[in-house]
Amino acid sequence: MATRDKLGSRAYLVYTGLVIGGVVAGLPFVWMLMASFMTRGETLRRVFAPESIQWANYVQAWEEADFGLYFENSLIIAAVQVVGTLLFSLLSAYPLARMEFRGRNTVFACILATLMIPETVTMVPNFLTITWLHRTTPFAWLNSWPALTIPFMASAFSIFLLRQFMRGVPNELWEAAHIDGAGHGRFLFQIMLPLCRAPLLTVGMFTFIGSWNSLAWPLLVTNTPDWRPISVGLQQFVSEAGAEVHLQMAGAVIATFPVLLAYFLIQKDFTEGISMSGLKG
Amino acid sequence: MHLSVLLYVILFSFLASCSSPDVSPSIDEVDLEELDPSGQEVIFWYQHTRERETALQELVAEYNQTNSQKIVVKGEYAGGYGDIYNKMVVGIQGGALPSLVVAYQNQAMAYHRDGGIVDFTPYMESPKWGLKAEERKDFVQSFFKQDYIDGAQIGFPPNRSLEVFYYNIDWLKELGYEEPPRTWADFVQLCRKAKEQPFSRSENKERSLGFLIEADASRLASLVFTRGGDLVDAQSSAYTLNTKPVRDALSMLRMLAQEGAVELMSEDYGDQREFAAGQVLFLLRSSSGLPFVTSAVEDGIDFAWNVTYPPNELEDPVVNVYGASVSLCKTNPQQQLAAWLFLKWFTEPAQQARWVRASNYFPVRRSTAQALQTYFEQNPRYKAAYELLDYGKSEPSMSGYQQVRRLVQESMVEIVEGSDVEPVLTSLQKTANQTIEDY
Repeated sequence: MATRDKLGSRAYLVYTGLVIGGVVAGLPFVWMLMASFMTRGETLRRVFAPESIQWANYVQAWEEADFGLYFENSLIIAAVQVVGTLLFSLLSAYPLARMEFRGRNTVFACILATLMIPETVTMVPNFLTITWLHRTTPFAWLNSWPALTIPFMASAFSIFLLRQFMRGVPNELWEAAHIDGAGHGRFLFQIMLPLCRAPLLTVGMFTFIGSWNSLAWPLLVTNTPDWRPISVGLQQFVSEAGAEVHLQMAGAVIATFPVLLAYFLIQKDFTEGISMSGLKG
Repeated sequence: MHLSVLLYVILFSFLASCSSPDVSPSIDEVDLEELDPSGQEVIFWYQHTRERETALQELVAEYNQTNSQKIVVKGEYAGGYGDIYNKMVVGIQGGALPSLVVAYQNQAMAYHRDGGIVDFTPYMESPKWGLKAEERKDFVQSFFKQDYIDGAQIGFPPNRSLEVFYYNIDWLKELGYEEPPRTWADFVQLCRKAKEQPFSRSENKERSLGFLIEADASRLASLVFTRGGDLVDAQSSAYTLNTKPVRDALSMLRMLAQEGAVELMSEDYGDQREFAAGQVLFLLRSSSGLPFVTSAVEDGIDFAWNVTYPPNELEDPVVNVYGASVSLCKTNPQQQLAAWLFLKWFTEPAQQARWVRASNYFPVRRSTAQALQTYFEQNPRYKAAYELLDYGKSEPSMSGYQQVRRLVQESMVEIVEGSDVEPVLTSLQKTANQTIEDY
């Protein structure tokens, strides 16, 4: 009885903590949603909820910042980047996890070491590489999708995550496949790939979020709206002379929606991918 | 073996192409008068968005249709000032530069030092392409001087703003005053009164402040200029951040902050928001924010307000005048000339008047005022601010000023939050002057 009480009070504490955490994490989103429906005056007076819902904020934000174009661009950029990252990460992670070769650990350590380098530091060399490619190859790299996607397809974090998962796959599977005449390529694509569904979706989700939120790099490699992502559209409401919070928040809701949708669709696999790759804290 | 050779070839060709790709002659090596800018494409990087961008694009389209040399200008939004700076810094290294770029003086100095922009002087003085004597006189001369650094005109001013003092007229009346404070002593008294007596129409009477100030070097410059001080010495060779005017300005803020009559701003444009909500009596802000404050007050609790020069300790008022200029990037002589011709057209009074109406910036040519009479009548606060242009004084144009601005910001926070003024400013002075040596 005493044990049950103890368990009950412990669960009570845990759930209280979780509820507080949930409220703290969710409140900014609630505020963002509320502010997106307010008039400018209401945002100035700091009211919590709008008197009447201002759908016009969404229309104005969509039209003034050319969100239609930016939205489409972001979807294409994110899709290309996700596919590319999954492909390259899979092909890199597999030999690091399942094949024996000299220097394997050194290669893996080098890949991991790149995680310590801040993105800002790599921006200049990346830009110089892109401008060089733009000048020396027949493709248009600047102001186009290659500059926005290709430099980010080799992701050390994604390789690490997939390698950790692949190392946990029983060796008996490989031995059985090998006896049946399968090589590494066939084993990777026919056996390992279906097993990697959860970590692949996790990698895809992280890549999608990273691509969707990026601002500094797209601004650097594009000069026209033709290939600019939605984050640039959102920046249109950050004026140098005054704030328009209601429009900013309407734009933020529009920009956040696809990320939330994607997360809700793969939530179960995402959590599984994180826990099975040894990333869980 | 073959692989290593291939890698070396790739590496060397990459490094070779990373060096400056510009092999075109400089403007000193060609006869400017003989150049033909016909058909050149001019890329213009700016930070304007929405209404300002629309107005600018309309002007660009008009230029493209009407210029006799068939020059084609393409205006491109390149992000905020910081984003543009990043683009330029990597663009100079990678050889990907526009023809014209919006830049603050300290940013333009960095570009000039790295060979990314050129001197405007030959273009301005060219008998064929330059400004006539009466045109040059028409410009506010101090604006040119802001961009004349180390013997080169590294920027050309298309517009300017002033740091003006916003005040709530109705609240002042409730406090028994008809006029805004003209001295800092009056300002202190009014801030204290505002703390004690909230605005009658404020919806949150628990919060009542005299002044909400952003920790920012431009705000400090205004407080110092109006006390007869400066942030640099007369030769612009050293920072003067531990002088009596600086100490007095920050001591005043610290004292009022301790009394609860002044606070440092903690959110972007929080001062505008609280001013519009009737919770703050005074603001110190750019004149370019006038439309935002106007609509914020109208959407808020709506009261009478106006702008004027900040309180001062001198005979004449002093206002901090600032604004980004446009720099001419190093491309090729024909393109540079074409870019200059567009900029010259853009600053002509007819275009200036249109740009000013859309952007609410101040024009840089005096004759533009004639075309703005109706606008002045419709916007009396803009006119009040415009009349302060003659009292303008600008902030330092020194390399590394951007870094010093951040140091000033940190020192302001430290002092207003209660640290002793003297040691903080001694340290600030030392660190700021070290940046001069670093650059």
